[in-house]
Amino acid sequence: MGRRGKQPYYVEAAPPVDVNKNTEWFMYPGVWTTYILLLFFAWLLVLSVSGCSPGAAWTVVNLAHFAITYHFFHWKKGTPFAADDQGIYSRLTWWEQIDNGQQLTRNRKFLTVVPVVLYLIASHLTDYKQPMFFLNTVAVFVLVVAKLPNMHKVRIFGINADI
Amino acid sequence: MVRLPYSTALTTLFSYGLLFAFGHLRDFFRRIIDSRKPTTNLKDYAPICLGHEDFYTRRLFNRVQDCCNRPIASAPDAWIDVIERYSNDGNKTIHRTSKTSRCLNLGSYNYLGFAAADEYCTPRVIESLKKYSASTCSVRVDGGNTKLHIELEELVARFVGKPAAILLGMGYATNSTIIPALIGKGGLIISDSLNHNSIVNGARGSGAAVRVFQHNNIAHLEEVLREQIAQGQPRTHRPWSKIIVIVEGIYSMEGELCKLPEVISVCKKYKAYTYLDEAHSIGAIGKSGRGVCDLLGVDPADVDIMMGTFTKSFGSCGGYIAASKEIIHHLKQTCPAHIYATSMSPPAVQQVISAIKVILGEDGTNRGAKKLAQIRENSNFFRSELKKMGFEVLGDNNSPVMPIMLYNPAKIPSFSRECLRLNVAAVVVAFPATPLLLSRARICISASHSREDLIKGLEVLSKAGDISGIKYFPVEQEKTTSVEKLKKIQ
Repeated sequence: MGRRGKQPYYVEAAPPVDVNKNTEWFMYPGVWTTYILLLFFAWLLVLSVSGCSPGAAWTVVNLAHFAITYHFFHWKKGTPFAADDQGIYSRLTWWEQIDNGQQLTRNRKFLTVVPVVLYLIASHLTDYKQPMFFLNTVAVFVLVVAKLPNMHKVRIFGINADI
Repeated sequence: MVRLPYSTALTTLFSYGLLFAFGHLRDFFRRIIDSRKPTTNLKDYAPICLGHEDFYTRRLFNRVQDCCNRPIASAPDAWIDVIERYSNDGNKTIHRTSKTSRCLNLGSYNYLGFAAADEYCTPRVIESLKKYSASTCSVRVDGGNTKLHIELEELVARFVGKPAAILLGMGYATNSTIIPALIGKGGLIISDSLNHNSIVNGARGSGAAVRVFQHNNIAHLEEVLREQIAQGQPRTHRPWSKIIVIVEGIYSMEGELCKLPEVISVCKKYKAYTYLDEAHSIGAIGKSGRGVCDLLGVDPADVDIMMGTFTKSFGSCGGYIAASKEIIHHLKQTCPAHIYATSMSPPAVQQVISAIKVILGEDGTNRGAKKLAQIRENSNFFRSELKKMGFEVLGDNNSPVMPIMLYNPAKIPSFSRECLRLNVAAVVVAFPATPLLLSRARICISASHSREDLIKGLEVLSKAGDISGIKYFPVEQEKTTSVEKLKKIQ
């Protein structure tokens, strides 16, 4: 590891009992920290590339986060690899698959809180000014509603229903 | 249970995120650029891949395909000829050259060294090939039952310590066809979370309910048993018709032994049957090579069904089930692989018979005992030296399988290619055979490796490990285990 004298901080990872290989990576240590660090470094990247105000950079990060997480958690169904599970997950989005479909677990609560926190930071730093405020509100509304337990396997108006 | 530095966990997750992001970006542009080209003339046919199922294969696995499926040009002995390959388009297509490189073989399941020509086995195999030909061209119940098959069934039963045994032509098919013959709808299968795909396949195909318990966690097994017995079958809550607990002797991706005595005692307490899959442990561990029961001091009569394969320690092909006479009689009438599949090839049967005779010492020499002692010594030496170098090595002592943790996706091809460049053939395993973040390089030690081979292997692994940065633990006794000192001991 390259450190002399000082030991690196170790974590233990027991193999989780999740047979769904698409979601079991989310139960390992370090996932939450990586997620938060990714958002922070994305903000730094937007700031350094565009030179806009911090609030505008957080708005950009919030909207990009909305687009990416909506697409991968709530739109794409099935698994990105050919699992030998006879396609039992091919009608479920990633959000519906995690934790074996159990609602209100720690992972799900964490993932629901992150868009809300992003929204608060972005709205505060842009002083609740109009076009950004509206966009941020739409983003957080859609994401939080999509993650509610009542929306499990619900397809509104048949959008994204099965083939 | 693996221990990894926290920063490695973060960088591994980040690397996979980056690979996925680039993969999706490339897919996005391909969809735009190639949207006007008609990809296929098959109108109205259903697509082969449902949705994005091939994403992982196309965008992640194909980048490093040259580390897998390497063709070889010799028998997989301690040294092996690997055919050199090249690719002109970033590993999308790989071409073979006519050159081979002689590499130290640290990847074959050649635990007792029977993979190459053996002085006792090979002449007898050639004789049986001339006498019985390469295939019986028939099923066991029809014309495929030869004297050799009957002799091997009795020999296997005697070797393992059970009253009777049944032979099948393929190890994977043994699990996937026997489990449905043993249990059906209304039964419960409780299997370890790291069980092999063949067991998972057999369990799914049987129609029984399947529950999984945390790997080697006896408390969790007991919890699952109690909950399931109390609940009964789903919806009707009637009692289960039977409960089978399936564990493996050595888990090939972890190198760990299962906690067999505790599993047996829990199963006896709750009246569940036990099924032990000894694919990797039969012939390789234990004082007389009789597998994990021998090593852990468990009476074979306590395990209801013992399964094993001949591919690993015996240098042949096929699988067996050893159990009581009644169970084997039932299996011979119901197992589809016995009734409808071609019987094991006679030379392969003869190879196993000879190999077992060598292990038991019935060939008149003590080569068997020497091989067993050699593999035990080799495994313990290799494992302790690797640990001293700072690698994270999984597995228990006495187990000839040692996975070295890699974690980051970039270290998988780097380690593999560097080892091949230095003439060591090591196998790397990644998703989906292992969990996504826990990719590893799996070393299999053989009784035919000499001490010099092992020292060369350690040298190369250390160099490749330095380049890939996988020495996650501090190096112990830095000065005393340098390779020069090891060579001086010779």
